[in-house]
Amino acid sequence: MTNNQAAVGQRPIRVVLTKVGLDGHDRGVKVIAQALRDAGMEVIYAGLRRTPEEIARIVLEEDADVLGLSILSGAVVPLTRRVVEALKAQQLEDVVLVVGGIVPEPSRVELNGMGVTGIFTPGSSLKAIIDFIQAGVANHRTYQESK
Amino acid sequence: MSTPSKPLPQTYDHWLSEHSQELQNARKKSFESSSGIPVDTLYTPEHLQKSGWDYQRDVGYPGQAPYTRGFTPGGYRQHLWKMEMYAGFGSAEEANERYRYLMSQGSTGGISIALDLPTQVGYDSDHLMARDEVGQIGVALTSLDDVERVFDGIPLDQVGHIFSTANCIGPIVCAWLLALYEKRGTPTADCIVQLQNDPIKEYIARGTQFLPIESAVKLTTDMIEYCRTAAPEWLPISISGSHMKQAGATCVQEAAFTICNGITYVESCLARGMKIDDFGHVIELHFCTEMDFFEEVAKYRAVRKVWARLVRERFGGTTAKAQHFRLHAATSGRPLTAQQPLNNIARITLQALAQILGGCEQTRTASFDEALGIPTQEAARTSIRANQIIAFETGIPDTVDPLGGSYYLENLTIEYEKRIDAIIAQVDKMGGSLVAVKDGFFQRALAQGAYREQCAVENGEQVVVGVNRFQSEEGQPVPTFKVDPGAAERQIAKLIQVRASRDADAVAKGLQRLKEDCLAKRNIMPATLECVKAYATIGEIADVWREVFGVYVPESVRF
Repeated sequence: MTNNQAAVGQRPIRVVLTKVGLDGHDRGVKVIAQALRDAGMEVIYAGLRRTPEEIARIVLEEDADVLGLSILSGAVVPLTRRVVEALKAQQLEDVVLVVGGIVPEPSRVELNGMGVTGIFTPGSSLKAIIDFIQAGVANHRTYQESK
Repeated sequence: MSTPSKPLPQTYDHWLSEHSQELQNARKKSFESSSGIPVDTLYTPEHLQKSGWDYQRDVGYPGQAPYTRGFTPGGYRQHLWKMEMYAGFGSAEEANERYRYLMSQGSTGGISIALDLPTQVGYDSDHLMARDEVGQIGVALTSLDDVERVFDGIPLDQVGHIFSTANCIGPIVCAWLLALYEKRGTPTADCIVQLQNDPIKEYIARGTQFLPIESAVKLTTDMIEYCRTAAPEWLPISISGSHMKQAGATCVQEAAFTICNGITYVESCLARGMKIDDFGHVIELHFCTEMDFFEEVAKYRAVRKVWARLVRERFGGTTAKAQHFRLHAATSGRPLTAQQPLNNIARITLQALAQILGGCEQTRTASFDEALGIPTQEAARTSIRANQIIAFETGIPDTVDPLGGSYYLENLTIEYEKRIDAIIAQVDKMGGSLVAVKDGFFQRALAQGAYREQCAVENGEQVVVGVNRFQSEEGQPVPTFKVDPGAAERQIAKLIQVRASRDADAVAKGLQRLKEDCLAKRNIMPATLECVKAYATIGEIADVWREVFGVYVPESVRF
């Protein structure tokens, strides 16, 4: 067990993974789903072609700590922006957002500008993604408890 | 030569025991291929004997059954493999410009059209779900007007071949091209159209499905049937394993799952009274080539053998022509790395070589910057050059099936045939590939394979140069191509113009006929053709299908 997991406590981290937009390549997201599951998280893969509004609703209903978006088409920036807006509309800004897929450098800068820092491109390690999520959720839960 | 100090080893086992000391401490505990087939230290005639291998029965001569060595007697001595590039992005005009460029650079495989996602799932460019994705990973085609623009100024008879990844929308793209040829007065034989038209693997791996699977197979069958009379030279289906492999199937599974899906399509055609002798030669099987070199070569040899046997023994084929399906190979984008992207030129070259040594007549090659985005012109050109270097500088194409007779390769080819047959039997027992898809059988195999591989890469068991070993700190700057952000707006403006200028009554009449034909379970091609000629849009036509057949609903899966 890593330090981050210890800090998170007993409740398993709940993760919603989904494709957004029309891109249907889900190899990557299914690999992540199995890796997060094996790291002790509860993983719901919501499938293909979800709209930003549907995604926000699923995150809310599943009481997810983390939302992972998998985007392999060239539209990563506008699609992520719509999801961020949909999350805001449901007051879900505190959900740890992770974006995976093809993210060219200029798009990465734009995503950072939106406050998205969990960006994982081909070649990223599963461990890096797990660590990022565990740290993000731990920070968030610590902050919630201190309020 | 020195005189051996002891008698020569007489058997493989004897040789192994004599050298057991030297053979200890191998680089790996055990050696196996990427599909998990054990790999021996050495292959000898004894191995072939043990597998019951027989040259005449299992290998034979090129241009003759069992077709292990190829479909044509002369291999590449008459014609080199076709060298296609996959291209298309942004608006019809931009795609048109890129096609002209590739043709001027010696791409001999004709025009290969990558479609954007809205087009592939049957949405018009101005549909709510299409926002942000118009022209992003391919060209947006919404009506015959776009198709006319794509081919503007390009003489079809000089193109020779048009390919597109039209799957669930196959019949619409087919109708567009039939209409285009008709308008231009081009005979269908002058330029062969080939559409992927393989929806089953969309449900398994690629994800552009939008109808219930049985309806999608019905539409595919309609198109195959219609093309036999309307455009008998065209290739109305390309049954594809490549996407399943890239989604995690092993090389053996790629071959076997594709053949299982192929059986479903062929049996759907046969159920309508079509004869395999009449359409076996227009079926294409499409695979991708990854890094396990000998597995790939064995795969292409075994697939020719297995499919030709199915044609003879299962589908009732009686002619050589019916067995001579199109075998199409593409190098895979998946093993290409974002790290040290120039390394990908070596990967692409090895993949291209494997598919050439496998005897594929038609090949496509990826570009070294694919892991970073849509290929630049320089990267696309380099891939054509890699093929040309193999073709003109190495002597490799000068004799047919030059690896044939290799103890290792022949052994592996036999092993492939056995394993493919076992999976076909397993899927048959489940009730065929549609049942297997609904059960998630293929999808689970892919997801597990992808995860297994990722873990093997991360724990270092599987080496990916530049990723988990031999990393370098300094990045290699590679220009990435960016789609013109104004392309989508222009595309939508044109669409609005098309809707305003067409004959609304003709559109309504066409769509009504289409609906009636769908309801009556008639072949939908004639009505679809009427619709596209009236400039009905892809969204309007696909909406009729959705209305009559229902829609695909995504499922949430708990891991």
